[in-house]
Amino acid sequence: MRNSFKKVYLLISVLMVVMLAACSEDVTNATSEKSGGPVSAKIGVISYMTGPGAAYGEAITNGFNLALDEINEKGDVKIELIIEDSAGKQDQALTVAQKLMSSDDIVALLGPTLSTEMNVVGPEADINGIPIMGTSTTAAGIPQIGEYVFRNSIPESLAIPAALEKAVNKYGAKKVAILYGNDDLFTQSGFDTMKAEAEKMGLEILTIETFQKGQSDYNAQLTKIKDLQPDLILASALYNEGAVIMDQARKMGIDLPFVGGNGYNSPQVIEIAGEASEGLIVATPWFGEKDDPKVQDFVKKYETEYGHKPDQFAAQAYDALYIMAEGLKNAGVADRDALRDALAEIKDLDGILGKFSFDEDGDVIMEPTVLIIKDGTFQLFE
Amino acid sequence: MLGDIINPYHLQIVSFILINIILGISIYITLSSGQLSLGNAGFMGIGAYTSALLTINFDLPIFLGIILGAVVAGVFGILIGIPALRLSGVYLAIATLGFGEVIRVIFVNWDSITQGSIGLSGIPHLGRELFKTFKLTGFDPDMLGLKNNQFIYLLVVLILLLVNILLVWFFIRQNKSRVGRAFAAIKMDEKAAESMGINITYYKVLSFTQGAILAGFAGALYAHVMAYISPADFAYHRAIDILIFSIFGGSELIWGAIFGATFMTILPEALRFISDYRYMIYGVILIAMMAFRPQGIIDVSLLKWFKRKLKLKRRGSLGIGTKKYN
Repeated sequence: MRNSFKKVYLLISVLMVVMLAACSEDVTNATSEKSGGPVSAKIGVISYMTGPGAAYGEAITNGFNLALDEINEKGDVKIELIIEDSAGKQDQALTVAQKLMSSDDIVALLGPTLSTEMNVVGPEADINGIPIMGTSTTAAGIPQIGEYVFRNSIPESLAIPAALEKAVNKYGAKKVAILYGNDDLFTQSGFDTMKAEAEKMGLEILTIETFQKGQSDYNAQLTKIKDLQPDLILASALYNEGAVIMDQARKMGIDLPFVGGNGYNSPQVIEIAGEASEGLIVATPWFGEKDDPKVQDFVKKYETEYGHKPDQFAAQAYDALYIMAEGLKNAGVADRDALRDALAEIKDLDGILGKFSFDEDGDVIMEPTVLIIKDGTFQLFE
Repeated sequence: MLGDIINPYHLQIVSFILINIILGISIYITLSSGQLSLGNAGFMGIGAYTSALLTINFDLPIFLGIILGAVVAGVFGILIGIPALRLSGVYLAIATLGFGEVIRVIFVNWDSITQGSIGLSGIPHLGRELFKTFKLTGFDPDMLGLKNNQFIYLLVVLILLLVNILLVWFFIRQNKSRVGRAFAAIKMDEKAAESMGINITYYKVLSFTQGAILAGFAGALYAHVMAYISPADFAYHRAIDILIFSIFGGSELIWGAIFGATFMTILPEALRFISDYRYMIYGVILIAMMAFRPQGIIDVSLLKWFKRKLKLKRRGSLGIGTKKYN
């Protein structure tokens, strides 16, 4: 008995020592050149790489890495990325942000992936005076956290009105029904925009229905919507629930077009719902079929590197690093405050998403593209 | 020189450890009377939202907010604890899990007050508010050679540490008192305890409520350390995490909960260097633990062995003849 205890204890203590040693591992080593030659800088990345949403983090880091190689090859600036995982949890995002911020070499942060994480990390970064840019945080109010907080992902308040306006014009819609997931920050904030925009456009909202994450049966909500006979259905959902909703709606005989938010915009919808996904209208910054050599080049490179087509998260990350590189180049030194000022002044930067500028809050100014699913693919919606 | 040692990253981890220890103790205390409650995430949420809303909307001082958060959670603890008395074992676990989910759904749907799933941001931060007060009295962290954020997190950790020491001291004392013995008796055998004249209703509700108060207290602290909360923070994942703290460390002793919370909070951070596999290792450790030490890492016999060992050593160093123990 005693011997086995000893062994267990030895094991535990060895583990603890290893862990403590790993904890104090420091990231401050290399010195950044501050004069002469290209600016070299380290940028911390906080990404959601383990857990249920790991696919987002993977796409995002792929996008960063692709851009990183190109930028360093060009040689205007030298960037080194230090990528850390947040597992999609606020407390981990905050600790890892502390880890990155406490290293004086790191001049800026990219990420975190979720808006909920940004709500925690953003204020802390702002107080410490380090520029932080979200590449996938679309909820309202993020850049307003502070003057060091930026984002390059188009918010729902930009995407949804664009999609809605085009759809209403095309179908001459007057009455709409709204369906949204009320237990998720993303879909909730999409709904808020939808409702405000529909009211602004003078549309009659027949009903507002809610559902929860992971729900599998939407017949109750859809039956009610069907009886009210709207001209359009506005749905703020993530693609997994969204695809099922469309499938069940079509089976019930509802063949109205759906207008969705940014989270609805995924090739997965077509994969899950198949033919039922026809008629989904979304506005997105990213359109992979766009007739632009830059975009096609990116898609080709990404496919050869990672074996599948890039999604909007990869594209936004790719552009984000270019924005950072531009900021660093204009700032001329690897300094947090200088970088912040340089970032704020970025205007009409040509990226794969289009022409990009920051407004005075650090939010996105950009023209989103409106797409519709037709014949099994996303196509431009005219 | 102090400024070189103190790293906000480490302080941040320590502050999460200290909050998790309180959560670990909260479930330990309900387990110590033989009740398995999975509602602690719900109580945590009640504490967090109460304190956050009071401090945001009514400008209450944080300390008052935290205490009221714990009190409100405690009131809910009594309300849930009394009907839950009829249940035991897994039935109680399921009922309390359900309670936790109901609380979360209320936070999600009570838009006008809780802002739904958007969550509450702009909650006054414990460290930053204190720092402001210190500034007013003319104190500057520079005097200690500290940067502002180092000082802020140091303050948070010191406060949490003090709270933790007080709590651990209190519960160790309680364990050795009439109350602790009553809890233990109920855990061993309810019927026997009742026939010995222990008021089961009173003690079970007491331990359930103590757990709720502690969880609410930890939740309130969490809200003021994160400065942002959303209903998703208090979902059943959290309940399971809290349970793991106590089960992993050993649910027989308070030290088990403390060890479990510490270990489980450090683990994901320490395994960062193998980022992709860290949660896999986390899982493997849990499985291995359940297979080899289902009672948790720290149990009574281990503690006894440890104490004996210490005694032996002390004797050895004093030069008194060592007697062979077995």
